[in-house]
Amino acid sequence: MTPPVPAAPRSAPPFPRWAPWFFVAPWLLGFATFVAWPLGRSLVLSCLQTYGPGTTVYVGLANFRYLLHDELFWKALANTVRFTLGCVGVQLPVALGLALLLNRPSLRGRAWFRLVFFAPSLVGLAFAALLVALMFERRTGLVDAGLHSLFSSWDPDFPWLEQYVMTALILAAVWLYAGFNMVYFLAALQGVSPELLEAAAIDGAGPWQRFWHVTLPEIRPVAGLVVLMSVAGSFQLFELPYLMFNTTGDPAGPDNSALTVVMYLYQMGFLSGDLGYASAIGWVLAVLLISLALLQRWLARREEY
Amino acid sequence: MPPANPPPRPRAAAARLLDLLVYALLTGCAVVTLVPFAWMVAAALKNQTDFFTSVFLPRGDGFLGVAWDHLTLDNFRRLLVELPIPRAIVNSVFLSAGLSLLATLFCAMGGYGLAKYPFRGRAVLTTLVLGAAILPPSLLLAPGFELVWRLGLLDSYAGFLLPGLTPAFGVFLFRQAMLNRVPAELIESARLDGCGELRIFFQLVLPLVRPMTGAFIILSFLGTWNNFIGPQLILQSAERQPLAVAMNNLRGVYGTDYGLVMAGTLVSIAPIMALFLLLQREFISGLTAGAVKG
Amino acid sequence: MPARLRRLLTFGSPGVALIALLAAAAALILWLVPVAPREPTQFWIFAKQHQAVYRDLLVRWNRAHPGGHVEMSLVNGAVLDQRLLSGFLTGTPVADVMEVERSIAGRAFTGPIADVGFVDLTERLQAEGLLDGINRPSLSPWTSRGHIFGIPHDVHPVMLMYRADLVEAAGIDVRQIETWDDYFRVMAPLRQDLDGDGRVDRDLLNYSAADPYGTEVLLLQAGGAIFDAAERPCFDRPGNAAILARLATWLTGSHRVSRFADINTASGQQLIVDGLVVGVMAPDWLAGTFKQQIPGLAGKVRLMPLPAWQRGGRRTSVFGGTMLALAKTSRTPEVNWEFAKAIYLSREMATALYRSTCIISPFKANWSDPAYDEPDPYFRGQPVGRLYVGLAPHVPERTSSPFNMLATRRLANCLTALVAYAEDRRVDEPAALEAEAQRQLAAAQREFTALIARNVFLSAPP
Repeated sequence: MTPPVPAAPRSAPPFPRWAPWFFVAPWLLGFATFVAWPLGRSLVLSCLQTYGPGTTVYVGLANFRYLLHDELFWKALANTVRFTLGCVGVQLPVALGLALLLNRPSLRGRAWFRLVFFAPSLVGLAFAALLVALMFERRTGLVDAGLHSLFSSWDPDFPWLEQYVMTALILAAVWLYAGFNMVYFLAALQGVSPELLEAAAIDGAGPWQRFWHVTLPEIRPVAGLVVLMSVAGSFQLFELPYLMFNTTGDPAGPDNSALTVVMYLYQMGFLSGDLGYASAIGWVLAVLLISLALLQRWLARREEY
Repeated sequence: MPPANPPPRPRAAAARLLDLLVYALLTGCAVVTLVPFAWMVAAALKNQTDFFTSVFLPRGDGFLGVAWDHLTLDNFRRLLVELPIPRAIVNSVFLSAGLSLLATLFCAMGGYGLAKYPFRGRAVLTTLVLGAAILPPSLLLAPGFELVWRLGLLDSYAGFLLPGLTPAFGVFLFRQAMLNRVPAELIESARLDGCGELRIFFQLVLPLVRPMTGAFIILSFLGTWNNFIGPQLILQSAERQPLAVAMNNLRGVYGTDYGLVMAGTLVSIAPIMALFLLLQREFISGLTAGAVKG
Repeated sequence: MPARLRRLLTFGSPGVALIALLAAAAALILWLVPVAPREPTQFWIFAKQHQAVYRDLLVRWNRAHPGGHVEMSLVNGAVLDQRLLSGFLTGTPVADVMEVERSIAGRAFTGPIADVGFVDLTERLQAEGLLDGINRPSLSPWTSRGHIFGIPHDVHPVMLMYRADLVEAAGIDVRQIETWDDYFRVMAPLRQDLDGDGRVDRDLLNYSAADPYGTEVLLLQAGGAIFDAAERPCFDRPGNAAILARLATWLTGSHRVSRFADINTASGQQLIVDGLVVGVMAPDWLAGTFKQQIPGLAGKVRLMPLPAWQRGGRRTSVFGGTMLALAKTSRTPEVNWEFAKAIYLSREMATALYRSTCIISPFKANWSDPAYDEPDPYFRGQPVGRLYVGLAPHVPERTSSPFNMLATRRLANCLTALVAYAEDRRVDEPAALEAEAQRQLAAAQREFTALIARNVFLSAPP
């Protein structure tokens, strides 16, 4: 809508008309080819049954109808939601706790601690899976062997990977990402004005009250964003459980306890060859996530007024 | 940074106690964070028998009660001499470095175009960028694979690289950085001096957003290095696969050879850790970019 | 020059410079070190143990066939799965000849029969008179809708491997054992709490509800099935519920006799070495795996036919399986077929395979091999090959349904739910669990009927 002439008071020479298009061209090209086209195509695909991209049959809304009654999909969704709740409920408080500890003004060596806590989040999930799978193995794994040598009452055969799969995954996620989210919280905490906290302290507010009534409201925008990112990230969980259990011949884990939505999508699309059903799953996931994002934005905006 | 000598206060003793508690907690958490790394390093240096008989280093009568002579580099030798892991390392470096360089350039260009040129269609494009940035990547997995197949690019480096060159998130980040850091007057005065548009971009604008460039390139490098699903689907031949795929294949074949698997994991994450230590500031600002700054 | 360099560094941060350097170096290496050219015929295997067996033959083959060189590569099973499917569906390169595991082969039968990526060998096997020489049940997993898509690599009969050292130390005579009830009764003294913490550490059978393969082995042995001859699901057919109910009592309650040591993990193997399970359902390949990977058990274990479900019942089952398949897209079909025969039919290869992996040949002509009679010190001098060959004709037939993997896991879920039910209600007797078992199986049946009905490629008229 803006005319292609900069509205500057000084009369600068106008830029050539091609210039903006030249700069956005690579992105536009990539977007059209690798986002817009596949996006439209996935709508079409979700109405097809396929055996690989070459063999397709139009089935209308049958994929979505089947999805509604597909116990495996619901199991996958339930697992994914459990993991997400675990991450938000356990890992974020741990991250905030670490950030609060690190934010203590008199602390020395903050940079070192931050470095250490942050390091695990650099380990890609494909590599973390190799480590985590061995760590949670019975008897010889770090977790069982370590806990048993610290507390002799700990069962050295505690079946993490048989019966406590989700707990193991959430613990792994805490190790991997608490330090990552801590960095966000720490940045937000350092933006809390010391005057405000001091004023509260003079008014007789204890540390707990100051946290609830001053610090938390101040960091709420960042906290909201971190929650949203955690939820979106957790919903995409795939590599960690898939690669941990892949070698057992059943990546979904015992009793499908490690099956996630994206893993189900992957198995359907690329191991059963049904790209149509995979696209249908993708759309359900996308609608879920985008509504969550919109909800978060709406909540954040409501707070502003 | 705390003042060197804080004036003594009546509650100094309580504060010092609290300090001690904070240090103890932080140190405890740091140890828990580091133990898995230590376990991995120890496992990589042990043979199979010692792996089963000791949690960390094998016990013996050497210095500190450790059987140092049991430690071996054999796992690394097998990994790097007998198995096709060196090729996977080169692939990982090539794909990660190549993709992050080009993606940073294209995202910076896109962000600049959207931020600094008032042109017809800018609002629509900006909305598209935002929309594309919130799409869950798994939605495009099936149709994206089909597209790469149609283009005849399956099992080629290009098939993996091309779709990753223009992440919407990156364009958005650079747009924010351009809006915040590049004053319009500067561009205009450069134009008055007769500078071409390209020269303005490369010599004037890019240096101004240098922190974002450094942060974003590292972020892309990390993301590509750790990407599993993309190369797993697109790069089928063993000689094109990066470490994320190659190491998991290796585990499939040598699954019960724990020392070898841990040595491979170590080799896979060590370059990222080294890069992190080298470029710490850019790393952290890259990973938190957009959230705190934007 | 330095000014220009400085300018370069002003828009490139140190990170940019470093990464540009890395990109250049890696590109240079990739450009300078080209991939070695491939032999015209590619042969993929997924089992590490087979590599050494085939290596010599391959060298001789290549010497004798200058125009038909074959190159062997060891590929991870999950990767083979992925690449095979991708190759069939999208035309990415696959091998010409490949060994394919059962769980993967089924997946290739998901689409229209014309789209199966393997060469249909039915007529060839018949024309060359090979069909009758193959152990009949061993063909079943490779036969889809009446077409045979692979040459069987193995029979994989199952025996029970038990800790002879523990059994002897306890003065137990295993000759009294014919049925599972006998086995659990006779071996009962070995169930022990070894560390005195009140929990039983040593149990009698390596089995758990979380082990779908074990459940499949036992179900097939008992005469149960989850797919009928027409490859339709039949979870709810008569008999399955009773089998499942009995298995549940092995896993929980006062008759519990099982504990699980996953033989695919080193820690599971360690549990077996530590003597925490007495008996392991052992197909021939597992006997070989034990010999190779767990030398510590040499002379401590023996094999007996699997105890039967009732007197006079079947004393074996079947576990795992591999076929040799030829790709339709191959440009060397004749070399493939000749090579396949050379590697799978020859007595010499059968002997070599047995010696290194304990795996017996599915070709009846090879069963007279004296190697099978050699006493094996690992198993206290038992003629391991002969024992397995004796059971080979009795292995149960299996389905080739592409849904079998999924269905086997679903069956394991039924069992898990049944075990939970038994624990909740403190039910110990199989008869009292049968109704619940039937309910679980009926639910699985409904799901799979719907799942398979959804696949338009399988339900379309031929």
